[in-house]
Amino acid sequence: MLQRYWFGDVDEEGCRAAGTDPAALAERAATLRTGMDSFVPIDWEVARDCGVVRTREEYVDLLRSVCTTLARKKIAQSYQGRDVELLQMVRMLDELDNVINLLQERAAEWYQVTNPSFSRKYRSLPAKKMLGIIRKGARGGLSDVADEIDRLAGTRSRLMREVSARADEVMPNTSALIGGLVAARLLSKAGGLETLARMPGSTIQVIGSERALFSHLRGGTPPPKHGIIFQHRRVHNAPRPVRGRVARVLAAKLAIAARLDYYRGEAVPEFLKSAQARIDEAGVEA
Amino acid sequence: MMKWLGNVLVSPGEGGVYGERTLDGYRVWDPYRSKLAALYTLGGGVELTPEIRVLYLGAANGTTVSHVADYVETVYAVEFAPRPMQDLLEVARRRRNIVPIMADANRPEEYAPFMEAVDLLYQDVAQPNQVEIAERNLVFLKPGGHLILMLKTRSVDVRRDPAEVLAEARTGLEKRLDIADVRWLDPYHHDHAAIVCSRRE
Repeated sequence: MLQRYWFGDVDEEGCRAAGTDPAALAERAATLRTGMDSFVPIDWEVARDCGVVRTREEYVDLLRSVCTTLARKKIAQSYQGRDVELLQMVRMLDELDNVINLLQERAAEWYQVTNPSFSRKYRSLPAKKMLGIIRKGARGGLSDVADEIDRLAGTRSRLMREVSARADEVMPNTSALIGGLVAARLLSKAGGLETLARMPGSTIQVIGSERALFSHLRGGTPPPKHGIIFQHRRVHNAPRPVRGRVARVLAAKLAIAARLDYYRGEAVPEFLKSAQARIDEAGVEA
Repeated sequence: MMKWLGNVLVSPGEGGVYGERTLDGYRVWDPYRSKLAALYTLGGGVELTPEIRVLYLGAANGTTVSHVADYVETVYAVEFAPRPMQDLLEVARRRRNIVPIMADANRPEEYAPFMEAVDLLYQDVAQPNQVEIAERNLVFLKPGGHLILMLKTRSVDVRRDPAEVLAEARTGLEKRLDIADVRWLDPYHHDHAAIVCSRRE
């Protein structure tokens, strides 16, 4: 019975060595397909008798460099997808949001101590305006911090545009349906374009509302209608009675869009047209 | 032979793999970090000796792998995820008896062309079908060799009682193996059980 090992092929008639160059051996090994029913584990002495190595040390050394070469190749491959960087970009964006919010709240608290009249007004102001007041009014450390927060906010909006643009490129169909930013967030939650492409619509519909979903599964509470996709205007602007339907239809179309993005990698206008029409239709109250 | 300094488990080897402490020139093997160390500290496990070969499934960053490699002849370390694999390659670069393999333990056919028969099969993977994975990899285990399965009951099913999950795993393994020892890894690791089996001759 023929056995195909990393160092060569072995059968009753003997052994055919595949050389001693690690790179070439790795390339060959990557193509080997083993049937487990007839598999016999390697006896390293066969590799020696075959003339590939002379000692046990040499055997392990050569095997290590072949396996290391293969592993490096596989790692490079898994990082190569454009979605991998997008993933990190979205996560950084969300982290920036968190940090900016925390800093802003703390800055407001601090400013309020030095300037008591500020207390009632600031809660109703938009964050940007509030920060402007603090920057003008405060001195020393606090104004430095406020400047820094402002810079961070600038970084955040540039990154957001970048994320959006990259999402349009990496997942054109999904982005067309739901916008680059929300599409990128879906991707980040799913963990990659491949995983997202393998998800059913019903999962996509509730990504991001895990707490509500699991409390529903444990019993008692109503199921969530939408998770991250709520962030899209189509869902949150939809009238309440049809919001669930919109979310469901949108999620179903997103599942198809993600697959198109993963397997074709380009926008498919016919699909987009019919999907948009179908989603709009779901939003009309009967 | 396992090396103890007082009641601290250590292993002989070049230090500085993951910031572990050293004691009298030996590397401290922390039972709170490594499930295998916990098993030895609790008095179980299979002696690691200089002539044995090990297949290690779920090698992760290579912390436990490095200790095992200090004791045995060769370790075949299988890991699937790219991020920990990068760390594992770094560990393997400095230990000449580790063979790093990037493959899915669910699919032994992917790494079979590299495998010789081993004396010990060690498995620590966070998958729901842990028993099935062990069964698929038995083909690499010599008759009379040992399997140490670190059963992560929460990975099998978070909603079920860990004891129940363990009982089911035992019945699954008993079909082809003799179970020598079963114990929970408390207080070091919660809801983890170590199952030590040997393959019938």
